[in-house]
Amino acid sequence: MHFQAEVGVLGHVDGSSQFVSQDTKIVCSVTGPIEPKARQELPTQLALEVIIRPAKGVATTREKLLEDKLRAVLTPIINRYCYPRQLCQITCQILESGEDESEFSQRELSCCINAAFLALVDAGIAMNSMCASIPIAIMKDSNEIIDNPSAEQLKTSPSVHTLALEFVDGGKVVKNVLLLDSNGDFNEDQLFNILELGEQKCQGLVKNLRKIIQDQISPRLVV
Amino acid sequence: MAENTALDTIEVHPITFPPDVLARISPELSLQRHLSLGIRPCLRKYEEFREVTIENNTLSRYVDTENVNAKNNILGSNVLKSGKTIVITSITGGIIEENSASIKDLDDFGEEELYEITKEENVVANYASIYPVVEVERGRVGACTDEEMTISQKLYDSVLHSRILPKQALKVKAGVRSVNEDGTLSVLYPDELENDPSNETNLKMKRKWSYVLYAKIIVLSRTGPVFDLCWNSLMYALQNVKLPRAFIDERASDLRMTIRTRGRSATIRETYEILCDQTKSLPLMINSQNIAFASNYGVIDLDPESQLQDPDNAEEEVDIDMDEARSVLIADLDTEAEETSIHSTISVIANAKGNYTQLTLVGAGAKITPNMIKRSLLLSKVRANDLSTRLNT
Amino acid sequence: MAKDIELSESESKFILEALRQNYRLDGRSFDQFRDVKIKFGKEYGDVSVEMGNTKVHCRISCQIAQPYEDRPFEGLFVISTEISPIAGSQFENRNITGEDEVLCSRIIEKSVRRSGALDVEGLCIVAGSKCWAVRADVHFLDCDGGFIDASCIAVMTGLMHFKKPDITVHGEQIIVHPVNEREPVPLGILHIPICVTFSFFNPQDTEENIKGATNSEISIIDATLKEELLRDGVLTVTLNKNREVVQVSKAGGLPMDALMLMKCCHKAYAIIEKITDQILQLLKDDSKERNKYAAMLTSENARES
Repeated sequence: MHFQAEVGVLGHVDGSSQFVSQDTKIVCSVTGPIEPKARQELPTQLALEVIIRPAKGVATTREKLLEDKLRAVLTPIINRYCYPRQLCQITCQILESGEDESEFSQRELSCCINAAFLALVDAGIAMNSMCASIPIAIMKDSNEIIDNPSAEQLKTSPSVHTLALEFVDGGKVVKNVLLLDSNGDFNEDQLFNILELGEQKCQGLVKNLRKIIQDQISPRLVV
Repeated sequence: MAENTALDTIEVHPITFPPDVLARISPELSLQRHLSLGIRPCLRKYEEFREVTIENNTLSRYVDTENVNAKNNILGSNVLKSGKTIVITSITGGIIEENSASIKDLDDFGEEELYEITKEENVVANYASIYPVVEVERGRVGACTDEEMTISQKLYDSVLHSRILPKQALKVKAGVRSVNEDGTLSVLYPDELENDPSNETNLKMKRKWSYVLYAKIIVLSRTGPVFDLCWNSLMYALQNVKLPRAFIDERASDLRMTIRTRGRSATIRETYEILCDQTKSLPLMINSQNIAFASNYGVIDLDPESQLQDPDNAEEEVDIDMDEARSVLIADLDTEAEETSIHSTISVIANAKGNYTQLTLVGAGAKITPNMIKRSLLLSKVRANDLSTRLNT
Repeated sequence: MAKDIELSESESKFILEALRQNYRLDGRSFDQFRDVKIKFGKEYGDVSVEMGNTKVHCRISCQIAQPYEDRPFEGLFVISTEISPIAGSQFENRNITGEDEVLCSRIIEKSVRRSGALDVEGLCIVAGSKCWAVRADVHFLDCDGGFIDASCIAVMTGLMHFKKPDITVHGEQIIVHPVNEREPVPLGILHIPICVTFSFFNPQDTEENIKGATNSEISIIDATLKEELLRDGVLTVTLNKNREVVQVSKAGGLPMDALMLMKCCHKAYAIIEKITDQILQLLKDDSKERNKYAAMLTSENARES
């Protein structure tokens, strides 16, 4: 997955990132750990407030579902038990969706996951593992699996998928599938092909994400 | 417990709780203890589904085809009962005017053929969805919860991507109501006239309308995750939807009026209303081969420390260890214990052909292995086949 | 929830003392507006504006809708200015009742929408039944003061940059031509209102300011967040290049000399003139960049091949 990313782009939050891939552009901010509202507080662990805001118009149930999926991916990779009774705010602002919002959300979700991961690291929140996410489309006729499909490719493909994998050990070992969200018409073989190809692609992506973080923090390290 | 406190000694006794109290205090432990016995807190086996009973089309206005109840605006319905949970789906509809036409719709546009070529048949853009509102009754009123919103949106997305509802099927074939010479009203529909060319009138509408479908899904006594129940109920209900025929009044179809505001004037076509026929209806032509049914699964690691040290079961336990089956697949999640303790879930929508239209895999807990996925896909296929046979009953 | 940001006593004293001695924390002079950086995105109507550390993004979109019944010849125009925690944890998601949020959206509303900057009559398609609904979504990304000024620039630049798809009206039916099929058409912009915000500080105590004849309040242009937190009064004037005052807003706070208002407007005019020219130049450059292959894509060329 080809992308450009930057961390620490915003000044008034604890961590932030900008993630751009093709025509999709996300800015993500992380603030935390901070004091939660009474209803958000969890006695033993860090509460997460996940907000996704669309490029055009007001947030609807579509963004609610994206928030739900993003939360499902981020919850296991954050070391929540380090911060009991505290809150972490994760806000993703979609600047360009890069797809037809009325039909698809795969590109936005993947980019939000990657952006949120970078911002969490930038904010210095304790993490259990790393994650990387890619959108996938299976092409009509050729049956070819395309990672990071364009808006046009999404439109013509019979099935579209979002894959997020959890990595440990310096990004070398896949620990679990954090999320696989598939829609359309697909069969079992295609599904396993997606997981196989997705693993390769995510591995490449997580290496690049690590590189971004490394470039960011290495000048700050005192050797 | 009472016995333990009665013994007033300094000896340390393990605290014991009755099963229902333990389930309250530590749902996770209770779940693990049950699983170690090979059953679940709801006393089902690992891969056992709840029994589902359905009742189709009992609420709709077209229940009695002879005597249509025009006051009822439900076009299709289903009541689904699974375990203790009841899901009531009622589908209603509306008619909207299509805001913009594509070139394809215009007869006098020469580029029609060009568009036929470029237009892909199976793309999502050619399909519509239904607007579902899920309401999980919790015994109090208030703003809708995140769960209700995410389920509604997921239903919307899944119907759209399953390609069940072609946009073509929702187009209104509007008729015209005219006054006969003897003063009675009659409604003519273009497709009914086709057989009789002598009667052909210029019924070509300048404006186009579409039906929109809304689904109200009420969940009573929720005991576990409900997405798959809502989906299945919606599928049953969609298959018995009938769309009322609609017409416009002949006199109204060409009415214009002049208006003036702030020194400017223009003719504005009177916004006449499209009316629904009280009795006549057409079945909704859905892509029935894409009808699919949902099921959900959970993956949980068996905690060796929570295993019951019951000598009767010792043999069985050894078996489990030998197979290295440290995690198990649980089908059709139910009860709070399962919902709160199982973080790795698989939700599948499978059709009877053996293809899948929706899959959500969340691995926030136990590792989801390829074997687990394979097993859940197989089970969902069997389940879908089973559920699709219920249609005829 | 994160509380409002508070400046420490010593920091506020330092900033105020510096102002008394004619210094600002970022080294600007009192009447200096921060440099405005404007960038365009890939699509029409996608603009990001940076003023120092303040970042604002504006996205213009449009769709076909039904006009209001009492205004059949007018299209719809909505500006949405919701602040999210991305700009700072002091902002709450979906809380539009906060004092700053309300003030900000009202001033932008007055400056742009109610001043008729956008020709809404040009958005009418079929009188009384169909029109364009144009929407401006302002996303505040980083908050270092001057939200009103930055978002006004962003909205106006966005509106001028935006192009709506071309349409053909066939009696009752409308065909919307996709952007890749027919050149989209720009919106009708009648004038370019730009906001300039003045912040006032009281060098003496409150009593002295009301009773005294000195009127020695300090006025600075385009305050940063820290200056905004400390200011005693604020004035936002909106002007356009025709030397017209579009909107003036001074909601309470430190009383100021009446003649000061004229002075402020004069100062603001020089600033808005510069910004307007900058916007127009950038738009010109952008359209040149976008149309650099236009010669190759004309229909004459297509017929040759």
